[in-house]
Amino acid sequence: MSNAPLTGLRVVARASGVAAAYAARLLGTMGAELTLAEPPQGTPLRREPPFLTDGVSALFAYLAAGARSRVCDLQGEDGRATLAALLSEADIFIDDTPVVERAALGLDEASLAAKHPDLVHVSVLPFGAYGPKADWKAEDINVQHSSSEGNLLPNGLAVEMFPDRPPLKIYGHFGEMQGGIAAALGALSALWARDEVGGQFVDIASQDAGLAVGAFAIQRLGDGSIEHRVERSFRYGGVIPCADGYLEMLTLEQRQWEGLVKLLGEPEWALDPALEDSLERSRRGPELNRHIREWALTRNVDEIVEAGQKLSVPLARYKTPAEILRDPQERHRGLFQPVEVDGAGMLDMLVSPFHFDGKPLPLRSGPPALGEYRSKVEA
Amino acid sequence: MKPLSGIRIADFTVHNAGPFCTHLLSQLGAEVVKIESAMRPDAFRKPHPVYGRMGPATFDQVASTKLSVRINLKKPDGAELAKKIVRISDVAAESFRPKVMDRLGLGYDALKAVKDDIVMLSVSSSGQSGPDSHFAGYAPLFGAWGGLGELTGYEDGPPVEIRHVMDHTVGMNAATAVVAALHHRRATGRGSYVDVAAREVAASLIGEALLLAAAGGEPKRIGNAHPGMAPHGVYPAKGEDRWISIAVRTDAEWQALAGLISHNGLAEEQRFANVASRLANAAELDRIVGDWTATKDANEAAEQLQAAGVAAHASWTTPEIAADPHLHARKAIVDVAEPDGTIRAAVGVPMRLSKGEEIGIHRGTPKLGEHEDYVYGELLGLTKAERQALEDTEVIY
Repeated sequence: MSNAPLTGLRVVARASGVAAAYAARLLGTMGAELTLAEPPQGTPLRREPPFLTDGVSALFAYLAAGARSRVCDLQGEDGRATLAALLSEADIFIDDTPVVERAALGLDEASLAAKHPDLVHVSVLPFGAYGPKADWKAEDINVQHSSSEGNLLPNGLAVEMFPDRPPLKIYGHFGEMQGGIAAALGALSALWARDEVGGQFVDIASQDAGLAVGAFAIQRLGDGSIEHRVERSFRYGGVIPCADGYLEMLTLEQRQWEGLVKLLGEPEWALDPALEDSLERSRRGPELNRHIREWALTRNVDEIVEAGQKLSVPLARYKTPAEILRDPQERHRGLFQPVEVDGAGMLDMLVSPFHFDGKPLPLRSGPPALGEYRSKVEA
Repeated sequence: MKPLSGIRIADFTVHNAGPFCTHLLSQLGAEVVKIESAMRPDAFRKPHPVYGRMGPATFDQVASTKLSVRINLKKPDGAELAKKIVRISDVAAESFRPKVMDRLGLGYDALKAVKDDIVMLSVSSSGQSGPDSHFAGYAPLFGAWGGLGELTGYEDGPPVEIRHVMDHTVGMNAATAVVAALHHRRATGRGSYVDVAAREVAASLIGEALLLAAAGGEPKRIGNAHPGMAPHGVYPAKGEDRWISIAVRTDAEWQALAGLISHNGLAEEQRFANVASRLANAAELDRIVGDWTATKDANEAAEQLQAAGVAAHASWTTPEIAADPHLHARKAIVDVAEPDGTIRAAVGVPMRLSKGEEIGIHRGTPKLGEHEDYVYGELLGLTKAERQALEDTEVIY
């Protein structure tokens, strides 16, 4: 028996961007039957880098794994009828069509509500469907700079090394994916209330979602301090260069600091009684880091991490994707499952960061070919 | 009604990730009973010198809208009292290290015994199983384990610490999984155990890079660049430490940007004519675009670019975000009142719903134990004498 909680739910997604597609993926990997409604040439995500081989998008493969595909050409009557038929059987519709184009395609809030009163209609756009910037465009880098972290990164070692460089975005599609996660949450919450209020319109902005996860900066502002990427660095620890890579070190608690002193071999500088005070350690952070970095630079990451974990010092290796793929922890957890990706073969793909009832979720399949619509999704 | 009205959550979560999860659910209408103790108050009730806060917070984002009761979980009667709350709850959420809830007598089996269809959520750094499950961790470590930290950075620089946004995205993921589990309960009558690993959330945000690695590729740090867009980056604007983000996807967008720069013949130059040639000449493009933006106010340039159909946004500082009319119109930023009446900005729930009562923050940070009359008196039906006895034995403490 499947442990996927959304088994039986039907989701249709018209996604040309990462945010909407990621919302659909979250619901699909949790068991919903997911159909991508694509234009005749396929969603632009099929042509988005990075590529696994010529023309096979890793991004699309990841986002669309487990989905079915149906071509719906909304320029014509047939395509609209196909979409309408899909929506009449769906619980949730996720759409990232720009607001100005919706009415002409019959995808506006009022038209869909009239035709499909029980449908949860989720709009996912960079700045949402409502408000003075609803028509603004954004790629992930713009989302990050309009919401929270854009201006606040890098911190720590990177900003120390390159203080005059432009702020740095988080890799990949971090900002857009926040929009996707918020959209999945919004969709399921609206669906929860459907028996009482019927279907409804859920308006998601990746900007809002990015801001939500960056809420701490707003809280600090209310406390009277403005975060800046240079000043927000941890006073000591952080990204530590070692002989063969980098590790992360963060000792927030007293006993963790004491463990670190032991790990370092109790050198004279670290035994200074003044450093037993956490505020004094903060004040002398750069001095501490000079010693820690000098010590680490001649040692290997794993050697330090292994010894440090035994002393309860929070340490982690900065892992490459290849290292994560073969990590015993991730293997044990079943984080990756092999799926067929047309044109690239069987590949280990990340399934979901959730376990339900002690097990990882099952991934149904790789991404669909355009128009690949099996009558029954294979379990 | 709000969408999750009628859902009650026994909230044992601490630090950031777990509390952010229940914070979102409380804004969506769930009644969240935050279980704390004076023995071990939550982080916002004490000074936090690492972040420069020298006294208790007067407002804490993730505690707002929650109810507060005191329970000393280290006492056996404390665990029993907690179970009484779980018995009348739909969800129990916790974020201690794995096995701590078991040791307290509050593991999934124990909670299931008092509420058969309970949805239990555990949030931890590495998950409840596996060789690393006992690892302690904070946000930057999740990012390091999950690869998001390794891939974020300047091409010629070190990896970058992903800070509290990492915790909070774990919380938002967890909230989604909890509502999914509630749907499962509604459909089947069965509860479930939801195990969210923060490092796996970090990895899930680079799924395409992990897939590329599985196919033999080697994804690396690329700074602000993009493999399919040029120009794409963060460019200097007029003024000290002012920047603007610009991303050009199509030839038409490039033509529009080149038209604004109005460099002699720039729009016609063959070396920038299509995506492949722009990517090949990205460094030169960045110089040209940067020279232009450096003379412009970041917000004015963004408006000009958007009007021309180019994706752009100023690199906003926190005060700019807090003052944005668009975010206020969407209630993504809301004003909340401190106990002394001072108004400050807070972050709302990241969605707008067309039906039902307004979602979002409707109360500030609760005082420790503020809602015990309601929870212990009204909900659990404890008498004053019973409550006093529990206080005398430091169970309610």
